[in-house]
Amino acid sequence: MIVAEQKPMEEIRRVIAPYERVLLLGCGTCMTVCGAGGEREVSFLNSALRVAQAKSSDGIHNFSEYTVKRQCDFEFLDSLADKVNEVDAILSLGCGIGVQVVAERFPDIPVLPGVNTSFMGMAKEWGVWDERCAACGDCRLAETAGICPITRCTKGILNGPCAGTKNGKCEANKDMDCAWILIYKRLERLQQLDKMRRYYPPRNFRVIPRPRRIVMKADVEPGEDNG
Amino acid sequence: MDNYQASRMREASYGHSLIPPCQVACPLHMEIGEYVDLVAQGKVLEALQVIRDGNPFPSICAYVCTHPCEDACRRSQVDKPIAIRALKRFAVEFGGDRMIQLEAETTQSEKVAVVGSGPAGLACAYYLRKLGYPVTIFEAYSELGGMLRVGIPQYRLPREVVDTEVQRLIHMGVEIKANTRVISLDLLFDIGYKAVFITVGAHQSLRMGIEGEESPGVIDGATFLREVNLGLKPSLGEEVAVVGGGNVAMDAARAAVRLGASKVSILYRRSRAEMPAGPDEIEQALEEGVETMFLMAPTKMKRENGRLGVTCTRMELGEPDAGGRRRPVPIEDSEFNMEFDTLITAIGQAPQISEDFRLRIGKGSTIQVDPVTLTTNRAGVFAGGDAVTGPATVTQALASGRQAAFRIDDYLRHRYPLVDKEAEETLSGELSPETIEMIRKTERLEPPILPPEARAKEFKAVELIYNWEAAVDEARRCLRCGMGAEILFQDKCATCLTCLRVCPYHVPYLDEGGTIQIPADQCQACGICVAECPARAIVLRKPYDRRHIDEELEHALKSAAESKSKPLIIGFCCQYGLFGTGALASLWRGGKAGIWIVPVLCVAKLEGEHILRAFEMGAEGVFIAGCGEQCSRENTAFWVLQRVERIRRALSQIGLEPERLQTFNLRAAEGDTAEALDNFTGQIGRLCLASVIKQEVKS
Amino acid sequence: MANSLFEEKLNSDGFLVTTEIGPPKGADVSEMVHHIDLLKDKVDAINVTDHQSSVMRFPSLGGCLLVKERGGEPIIQITCRDRNRLALQADLLLAYSRDIKNVLCLTGDSVDVGDHKEAKPVFDLDSVQLLKTAREMESGKDMAGNELKGVPQFCLGASVHPEADFIEPQLVKFEKKVIAGAQFFQTQGIFDLENLRRFMQYASQFNVKILAGIIVLASARMARYMNDNVPGIIVSQAIIDELANVEKGKGLQKGIEIASRFIKTIREENLCHGVHIMAVGNEGIVPDILEAA
Ligand SMILES: Cc1cc2nc3c(=O)[nH]c(=O)nc-3n(C[C@H](O)[C@H](O)[C@H](O)COP(=O)(O)OP(=O)(O)OC[C@H]3O[C@@H](n4cnc5c(N)ncnc54)[C@H](O)[C@@H]3O)c2cc1C
Ligand code: SF4
Ligand code: SF4
Ligand code: SF4
Repeated sequence: MIVAEQKPMEEIRRVIAPYERVLLLGCGTCMTVCGAGGEREVSFLNSALRVAQAKSSDGIHNFSEYTVKRQCDFEFLDSLADKVNEVDAILSLGCGIGVQVVAERFPDIPVLPGVNTSFMGMAKEWGVWDERCAACGDCRLAETAGICPITRCTKGILNGPCAGTKNGKCEANKDMDCAWILIYKRLERLQQLDKMRRYYPPRNFRVIPRPRRIVMKADVEPGEDNG
Repeated sequence: MDNYQASRMREASYGHSLIPPCQVACPLHMEIGEYVDLVAQGKVLEALQVIRDGNPFPSICAYVCTHPCEDACRRSQVDKPIAIRALKRFAVEFGGDRMIQLEAETTQSEKVAVVGSGPAGLACAYYLRKLGYPVTIFEAYSELGGMLRVGIPQYRLPREVVDTEVQRLIHMGVEIKANTRVISLDLLFDIGYKAVFITVGAHQSLRMGIEGEESPGVIDGATFLREVNLGLKPSLGEEVAVVGGGNVAMDAARAAVRLGASKVSILYRRSRAEMPAGPDEIEQALEEGVETMFLMAPTKMKRENGRLGVTCTRMELGEPDAGGRRRPVPIEDSEFNMEFDTLITAIGQAPQISEDFRLRIGKGSTIQVDPVTLTTNRAGVFAGGDAVTGPATVTQALASGRQAAFRIDDYLRHRYPLVDKEAEETLSGELSPETIEMIRKTERLEPPILPPEARAKEFKAVELIYNWEAAVDEARRCLRCGMGAEILFQDKCATCLTCLRVCPYHVPYLDEGGTIQIPADQCQACGICVAECPARAIVLRKPYDRRHIDEELEHALKSAAESKSKPLIIGFCCQYGLFGTGALASLWRGGKAGIWIVPVLCVAKLEGEHILRAFEMGAEGVFIAGCGEQCSRENTAFWVLQRVERIRRALSQIGLEPERLQTFNLRAAEGDTAEALDNFTGQIGRLCLASVIKQEVKS
Repeated sequence: MANSLFEEKLNSDGFLVTTEIGPPKGADVSEMVHHIDLLKDKVDAINVTDHQSSVMRFPSLGGCLLVKERGGEPIIQITCRDRNRLALQADLLLAYSRDIKNVLCLTGDSVDVGDHKEAKPVFDLDSVQLLKTAREMESGKDMAGNELKGVPQFCLGASVHPEADFIEPQLVKFEKKVIAGAQFFQTQGIFDLENLRRFMQYASQFNVKILAGIIVLASARMARYMNDNVPGIIVSQAIIDELANVEKGKGLQKGIEIASRFIKTIREENLCHGVHIMAVGNEGIVPDILEAA
């Protein structure tokens, strides 16, 4: 899942300042799961913005809220068409993808981000999310016992731990496990330590140049040889 | 448009709680969960209202109901069932049930005759009057009430209670014809009655069928109790035997004790475990000195020298019978003799129906009826109560009386019977071991009773009433079966697993298809998942007349706006326990200017938006007062604090002091809540002043 | 044939002594020059650190040029934190062209421990890959396989952590560095000679030179601070106690004493091939230590 965090209220208030009627738009998928922009967060934000407005005298906004199942595909946004006509801006609590899809779908209205899209990860427990994948486009988990050093090692190095690891934790953050210690232990358990002894050449950062696109659809013309 | 999603939620969350097993077990289907919950909030008047909606004579039931609801109560899977009957007694006494005056208007012309004034007859008359029919009750005895009057002894049901109900019926316009034994139904139709309800009870004691049963000194239980209840003091001598193991036997034995018999023994052919009498009855009888002799049965009796010689045979338990009880089998050559002054037989009763009624009689001399319509073989003649079922219970009789009233109405209105909408979903299923493990065990609180020495010589009521605190604490034990959480919008659920992670009882689970399920039969209705679900897909199955927190909040905000007192402080206060009447009573009465209370049913149900809403509408401070770790549900304080922290963060981001939001533990052992609240009010006042000054300086 | 003076010494059997200099934060190099002059004749080579602890400073390459200028033997430290593969190769070429051939290839500390915490960490390569890259350049090709005009030659070193609390993965990495081309290792600070002894039992099977890292501690407080804040460092309790038991103001003296004692033991017992003294900001005392040892 994509994990994000709501932007600080101050920043949100700044970006919406020029607009009177603002639609707070939630996303019912990843942003709901990570608690950054589901229906509850939208309504929480709506209330908080109203409080802020009531307590200060700057700008009178008119807020409305709505949450779609997913912001990252046009079809989910169709139901918004009417609502969009009634507002001056949309504050999207979707991930960065959502914001852009909404912007693309409604070219005539400003779409502002309400969250900082942070990473792809999982819930470690209630209220705690951890990054797990960097979408590097060249997955190496087969060699690293299913633990991603690119994501979970702060340096993303490929040939073993640096010397900064202490108590199994990372030098950059004493609360985070050192990915390489985890990898070593798991490889040992799987009796695959040879995988760690192997030399791994530098990463290929040119998997596909940015922006990336994956095409699953084959390039076929019906009616030629087969259809 | 902005509130479309919110209102969809609100509408959907009304009125679809599942029927809990206690309610299913109750012959009257009373909304037990509902009134127990109201008692838990100290709302005794509201509780009484719910009780009265489901029961014509709650004061009577509160004394003598055999409470099948408690046998069904799911709390017994955890520890002990809720003391439902005793809580009802509390509600009717403290709610002033006997003060309530009832009126009824006559809107129909068809007269209805009720034959017999036992609970079935009284209930039928009560509901027929409410439906607007002229009703006459015919009763063979001089006083009304049937077994309530001539069966159940006073120490279990004071006569004033029955009198009150009879007076109330008279006030409602029921015509009473006492000392009038109906001998012919044709006659009733001849004098203009359009329908008749026969509810003559089961008063004919069964005979043991042994030699010497007719001897002087042998009396049947129903007759004995009737004599006692009508104020005659039958002379029993010193040593009394009672044969039988049911409630009638217990009552006869205990009445005998009260009449001065020095030794009272119960002879029962099985063992204690098989006794049909209620465990409490047996217990109290033993306390009063009644002795028991198990596994023996009289086979012969003879009156000699002013004493009664009784020959008994010993029994042993054989194979279980159809009802599952082990059948007693006589042991050969085990006969022995005993002597008593009096022997009371109490081995059961049967109805005795006059042949002149020309009614079809079935098994056990009972009147045969259609179980749904209660119609007999004669047009316009309905029957119910013990006369139909054989000896049963007061509540069953009330239920059949009520049913009869509605069926008679259907009949007189030429309507196809509108059968009770039993289509409502009921809650079934055992609690899972994981759920049970997480439910805190709390002792069942029993109401106080008179000490045995104080009751043995008189007919004073034995059971006393709970005090407020005990009643509320006992009611708080209820698991609120069927009021729990439900994923109302599966389309909204993002399967984020929040509910699964936050539930203290491990109720939600992921099914094989990857859909999250919240099994209704496990949920403890704490509401934590409801307030945490980021998709707002979950609602609590709410009883119909309960207000949402947002409604309560809007109400408080409106009243506050009208009163214009400053600074405005909103307090969300838990309604469970005695807080409504206790610690916060002065606030309730508006004693402290500016503080407005929003009652909530457990602070764990409070959502962040509610608190923010209070600030938006001008509250300078908000506090949340719950019972902390004493909550009857788990982890509630933790979740409240989580939300509070979250809002404090938001407050400081928008330039408000986080101290404007506080929590109080109303049941904290140490510390004076009132004082803490005072400090808070003072603090808010100062913050308020400071911000006013800041504003002035700015402009 | 040796590429550098230092490599020549590596190939001999002598006891090696190196030390390190941290370049200044700022453009004033006078103090650094002073230290170079003080040390250049007392040690076999001088390391110049590369934004040590991820704190931005005068560059390592610049420091090495100064060492050269003053007539010393530099070891350039190159980390992978701040440069991608283009910049790393370019720096190697530049160093070689200025006769700086001793290269210590390091992964580099994480930016989170430094003073520019918001910087983008690069780590395009890691230390093993950097070693291998340098070796490959010696065969006349860059990483992309393109021909180099003018082929560099290096004396390559790396670091190893014999005191890591979980040593096995460190040893795996050590071996990978050896295979990738490291000729010498300067270890992280050693605070318990037993750890060194144990490590050498393992390391002696490889044909590489090991220089034990000696960190000069100035006080028990500093020791504790390093334990908490400096990546990888684990000062033993015995050393902390020893430092804690001296009177105020005498800490550094004690630190010098401990360092000298370590060096002496290592040399006398022939525990490894040399020492690498890290005085962390007290470069001036290194001659004292050597004297005492
Ligand atoms: C000693 C005893 C203790 C009991 N204790 C309990 C208890 O604790 N809890 C409980 O739930 N149940 C108890 N019961 C059972 C309960 O009292 C009965 O099930 C209930 O009263 C049945 O009500 P009913 O209206 O069907 O009949 P009844 O109460 O028996 O009333 C029938 C009435 O009809 C009258 N009648 C009969 N024939 C005619 C006629 N021809 N004309 C006019 N009137 C007539 C009778 O005089 C009588 O008043 C007890 C019963 C007894 C005997
Ligand atoms: S716990 Fe409450 S709701 Fe559940 S069966 Fe018992 S009394 Fe009824
Ligand atoms: S908390 Fe809500 S959205 Fe999440 S799984 Fe449960 S019901 Fe679905
Ligand atoms: S959290 Fe509470 S309301 Fe939700 S399922 Fe669990 S017990 Fe029921």
